[in-house]
Amino acid sequence: MIGVAIFTFAIAHIIPGDPAAIQCGDKCGLIVDYTEDGEPITAYESNRIRLKMDDPVGVQFWRYVTDLAEGDWGDSLLYHRPVVDVIKDAAPITLEMSFLALFIAYPLGIILGIISAVRQDRMFDHVSRFFAIAFVSLPIFWFAMMLQLYLATGTEHGGICDPIFGTEGGCFPIYGRHDPSYTYPEDGFYSFYPAGGTGFHLVDSWFVTDEKLATMPEEWNSNWLLFKDTLVHLALPCAALGIASAGSLLRYMRASLLEVLNEDYVRTARAKGLSEFRVVVVHACRNALVPIVTILGFSIGGAIGGAVLTETVFAFNGMGRVAVTSLQYLDFVVIMGVTLITSVIFLLSNLIVDITYAIIDPRVRLE
Amino acid sequence: MRSWDDGKEEREESLRRLRESLSQSRNDLSRSWKIYKRSLLAILGLMMVLSVSLIAIFADDIAVEHPYRNLQDTEDKWSIDYEPRRVEPFSEECDWHEQKIVTNPNSPLFSETVVAESDDKVGDDNRYYRDTLSAITIIKIEDSQGYDLNSSLLSIDPDNSSILVLSPDLYSNTSLYAGVWVTYEFDNEAMHHWWLPDGYDVCIFGTNDQGQDLFSKVLYGARVSLKIGITVAVLTVVIGTIVGSISGYFGGRVDEVIMRICDIFFAIPGLILAMAFVAAMNQVTSLTTPVWLAVLLPILVIGSYSNSFLSSTVPKHGQTDSHVMSKLVEYRWWILLLPALVFIFGWSPSNLFGWPEIFELSESKIWRLTAVVAIIALSGVVILADKRFINNSSFEGGMERLKDSFDWTNPWRYLTFRTLAVFISLALLFNFSGTEGGDIVIIKDFDRLWKVQAALIFTGWPGYARLIRGQVLYVKEMTFVEAARSVGAPSSRIMFRHILPNAWAPLLVAFTLDIGGTILSASGLSFIGLGAEPGTAEWGILISESRRYFLDSPWLMLYPGLAIAVTVLGFNLLGDGIRDVVDPKNRR
Amino acid sequence: MSEIRDDDVLIEVNGMKKWFPIKGGMLSTVKNYVRAVDGVDLQIKRGETLGIVGESGCGKTTLGRVLLGLIPITDGSVVYDGTNILDMANREIRKRMQIVFQDPGGSMNPRMSVRSIVGEPLMVNGLSEGAELTNKVAKLLDSVGLKREHMNRFPHEFSGGQKQRIALARALSLDPEFILLDEPTSALDVSVQAQVLNLLEDIQEKHGLTFVFITHALNVVNHISDRVAVMYLGKIVELADTADLFKKPAHPYTHALLSAIPEPSLDKEKKDRIVLSGDVPSPANPPSGCRFHTRCPIAEKGLCDVEEPTLEDLGDGHKVACHFPLGLGMTLPVNDDSL
Ligand SMILES: Nc1ncnc2c1ncn2[C@@H]1O[C@H](COP(=O)(O)OP(=O)(O)O)[C@@H](O)[C@H]1O
Ligand code: SF4
Ligand SMILES: [Mg+2]
Repeated sequence: MIGVAIFTFAIAHIIPGDPAAIQCGDKCGLIVDYTEDGEPITAYESNRIRLKMDDPVGVQFWRYVTDLAEGDWGDSLLYHRPVVDVIKDAAPITLEMSFLALFIAYPLGIILGIISAVRQDRMFDHVSRFFAIAFVSLPIFWFAMMLQLYLATGTEHGGICDPIFGTEGGCFPIYGRHDPSYTYPEDGFYSFYPAGGTGFHLVDSWFVTDEKLATMPEEWNSNWLLFKDTLVHLALPCAALGIASAGSLLRYMRASLLEVLNEDYVRTARAKGLSEFRVVVVHACRNALVPIVTILGFSIGGAIGGAVLTETVFAFNGMGRVAVTSLQYLDFVVIMGVTLITSVIFLLSNLIVDITYAIIDPRVRLE
Repeated sequence: MRSWDDGKEEREESLRRLRESLSQSRNDLSRSWKIYKRSLLAILGLMMVLSVSLIAIFADDIAVEHPYRNLQDTEDKWSIDYEPRRVEPFSEECDWHEQKIVTNPNSPLFSETVVAESDDKVGDDNRYYRDTLSAITIIKIEDSQGYDLNSSLLSIDPDNSSILVLSPDLYSNTSLYAGVWVTYEFDNEAMHHWWLPDGYDVCIFGTNDQGQDLFSKVLYGARVSLKIGITVAVLTVVIGTIVGSISGYFGGRVDEVIMRICDIFFAIPGLILAMAFVAAMNQVTSLTTPVWLAVLLPILVIGSYSNSFLSSTVPKHGQTDSHVMSKLVEYRWWILLLPALVFIFGWSPSNLFGWPEIFELSESKIWRLTAVVAIIALSGVVILADKRFINNSSFEGGMERLKDSFDWTNPWRYLTFRTLAVFISLALLFNFSGTEGGDIVIIKDFDRLWKVQAALIFTGWPGYARLIRGQVLYVKEMTFVEAARSVGAPSSRIMFRHILPNAWAPLLVAFTLDIGGTILSASGLSFIGLGAEPGTAEWGILISESRRYFLDSPWLMLYPGLAIAVTVLGFNLLGDGIRDVVDPKNRR
Repeated sequence: MSEIRDDDVLIEVNGMKKWFPIKGGMLSTVKNYVRAVDGVDLQIKRGETLGIVGESGCGKTTLGRVLLGLIPITDGSVVYDGTNILDMANREIRKRMQIVFQDPGGSMNPRMSVRSIVGEPLMVNGLSEGAELTNKVAKLLDSVGLKREHMNRFPHEFSGGQKQRIALARALSLDPEFILLDEPTSALDVSVQAQVLNLLEDIQEKHGLTFVFITHALNVVNHISDRVAVMYLGKIVELADTADLFKKPAHPYTHALLSAIPEPSLDKEKKDRIVLSGDVPSPANPPSGCRFHTRCPIAEKGLCDVEEPTLEDLGDGHKVACHFPLGLGMTLPVNDDSL
């Protein structure tokens, strides 16, 4: 944790761009103030003073760390809001998407992996392995765009959703988090969700009060409809994000299960005359799943990284978008915040994975 | 002085051994191939990788045009204006050319004829030029509002098919002074693929909004992607191997520090880190290391090296015979820490003892070279001295052996690892040291592609470091390493002859898979606008640029994406195949 | 220690301890130690063969590695020919003491040819290079009964016995005075074992070598060694001339080991096999008092589990560490439940 803090700080300081200069742009030479003895202060200098950039590195770092600890992550130069707020808005969007993606990918990958291992070297195995590796090789952003093209546009654009889902409205939404028809022209969709909600709209949609619902247009005037709307909008991004994880999981699961199936106790179970199904599902899978759990931590990190790309394609204002925009404007405070928060999430998920691991695997016990 | 004939026996011996090891590796290879061949997918992967590589190499010959052919309306020439058009794959319209003709009565010279000219091209020497096209048929004529006009208003000069003749009607029609658009089919020499049968001169992947042939762009994109993939993979492997093997072999505090650093890298998603890094470098135009870094780094490495060496191998009651040396050894960390403290907490060294001036002494190439050599030599001396005092080992015969390695009577000797390493490092030193400016320049034109590569290297090495460290720790425990130590083999030999050759197998797999991974990440970076410059023939940026025409021209996105997918899939399949080969279960 | 050092002592081991730290927990602090060797005194005489016997895991290999200075000693000292090995230059130790490892296959780099393996000691010590090295290697291979043609082959092409010969050739290459043989025969078939043992004897005679022969099987030791030390859980429990030890073993553990030797003879009445009950305790927390008391059939409560016996001389240099050393012809009570 401390390491990450140092690291983000170091990155922001090694970066050669000068935020003070970027902020004032071409007006850096303007004199905005005078010191007590009448020396002129340019805009550039005042920026430097305001950002306290002339202090020694060590002092700056100490200030940064103490501020962090107090929950003050600085103010974004770009959004003109505290970084904490920016992240508070953005993080749930990314997390909702990543979790849902993994939620789909894990069962899918594991089940296919089991089938693949049980039918080792048969047709199903070959085909599913090929597709697994092919999906791992797909560029996420491209795959996302292909999904948009085929599942979110009609035949006039080369999509296929018309014949499958019927005409009008049969397609998945092409981008965004909600249907624009109810987010505009009012004061934005956030107002419908209870303030201080989780930010996960899949959850929040169930807590929208009846009065609020009554003010909504007909298509959105129940919790279920709101939920459905969110879910439908999440479908394509999650598919894009989850497919690579599912592919690699299939491969891991297959390898792990094959290893377990060769162990003695599985042979014994077979010899006892247990049905093949029981042997595989009850005896082998439980043990084969143990190493899979450890991958979970890494796939969360991977999903958050991949979210940068899917968010760009599907126009979600999650952390990935925030990161990209703030990088373009060299808004270091936000970059540092985003990096920090992603690593916190990553470390937390790894911790959870470790605990899960201890629960699943009786050999490991928490000390 | 030895003469040529004296070395005869040695020469024969070296040659014999060379031949022997060659035949050994040939046996190894054929055995590996036998295992590799078993998997159909692996073969498929190999073929994909090979064909992509071939495409990258021969892109010049296969492509129909230079990928950076500039088709913009560069200059508004008096009468000819060109509107680039997006054209579907396999469309006839590739051969169509659209020209704007302004019927301007003030330019009587060109009033009645218009030359069919190609748009600007870039030649191999990067100079622009124009061709005169020969028109075949006139397809249509539109006025500036887009209404069709009678096609008889223009005709092709029967004597010279490069000249379009304006009819008097058109010329006198002042309402058309805003210009007319003429579309004609021309004899497109440029679009002729030698590998397609005659009469199939089509743009098989269509053209983009700039009117550039997408097929050519995708071909050249293979070059960029492979270059990035391979450079990054090679460099990360090298860096990761060095760091990881130091970490694994010496253990102790060095290991601790390196692994903590790696942990930090692992805690941040790679793509976000790479993004931050690319953005960080956006202002940098050439990659240099400040001299102070070049000086400090080796000193730090040596410091920690000898320190952990000390703590791991030497028993507590030290037997360093020299008092000064032992004190130095004891306080080494503090000596190293001092400049670091100075650097971190405020005092710029210049107000202490004119530190920067020392380095500014020297703008000359020779000085810099000398400085680098001196630093290396110093490091060497410190290591040797350390060994002498701490490990009590002598280096008698070392000089002889060094001389022996460069025995002029036996050129075959130069093919050994040690001498090759010396030659290569000398060449690198000479290459990297000594350029103008105050710093040591590593890469001169640090363009955005280089930045992507640097970022991916920066984020990639910890993975390899960890992998190699694990391998080294594993191999280190094997008995033959102890056996080598029990006969007095030095650390370097143990590392290079015993540990690394037995540790690289998983590295090779990771390397192959990583080329694919790098291509994916690099295109991802380009996609979000942090990679290649817009307009580059790079797959990620091609897809990113296609987003604007996503609904109208999906082919612009389809083909570059397929290219990425096929290439990455190829490397992944190849890596899987290699994994099977190096898997000990399949050996024998 | 108590004796005066005389000239024919080549190596003297005083109170040697080797503890491996067990790390664990969050900060990888040292939680405990594996007391692999825990206070060993030994003298190895010039020209003799000392056998070291004990179950696997009792610390024999560790003792050997410390003896050769391959791993740092925790406590105590190893004095080689009058000098502490800590004060000797690394290179000198390597030239005078060599080791043949337990696992002949594993002790050779699979990617090096026999020439490089056997020649490596010469090369790294700067003694020989190039064609000269090739000739020397050929000579060494010849002396262990291998052919010159084997030089360009790789380890995996050889059988176990041949590999052990190669390892021996490597150990001989620096012409040492002392070779530590760590279970050189335990990975081999019985017929091959005999060949290797004979070869070892020949070589010892020819070069005037001092051997320490480590094994877990007493019957092998009978052939080759002059004296035998019996180890249990990091300590020496009995040390005697080979004949002496076999005739009148004094320590209950030695008894148990001896009775475990299969006897093919028909005429003698069948001896009772003493099967020790229980597992070997962990060297991380050795039992209090006599380390053997958890398994000893004649252990006495209140004494054996409290007070640790020291290595006492019974006369003739026959030393034993037991409160109740057994006399000639005495036998142990046979455990009923173990039969
Ligand atoms: N490098 C090591 N680290 C920790 N423990 C070790 C190490 N080497 C050996 N040990 C432990 O020391 C004990 C003695 O091992 P060893 O000397 O190899 O026994 P032997 O050779 O008699 O079979 C064993 O319990 C073993 O686990
Ligand atoms: S001291 Fe006691 S426990 Fe130990 S061996 Fe002798 S009799 Fe058995
Ligand atoms: Mg052993």
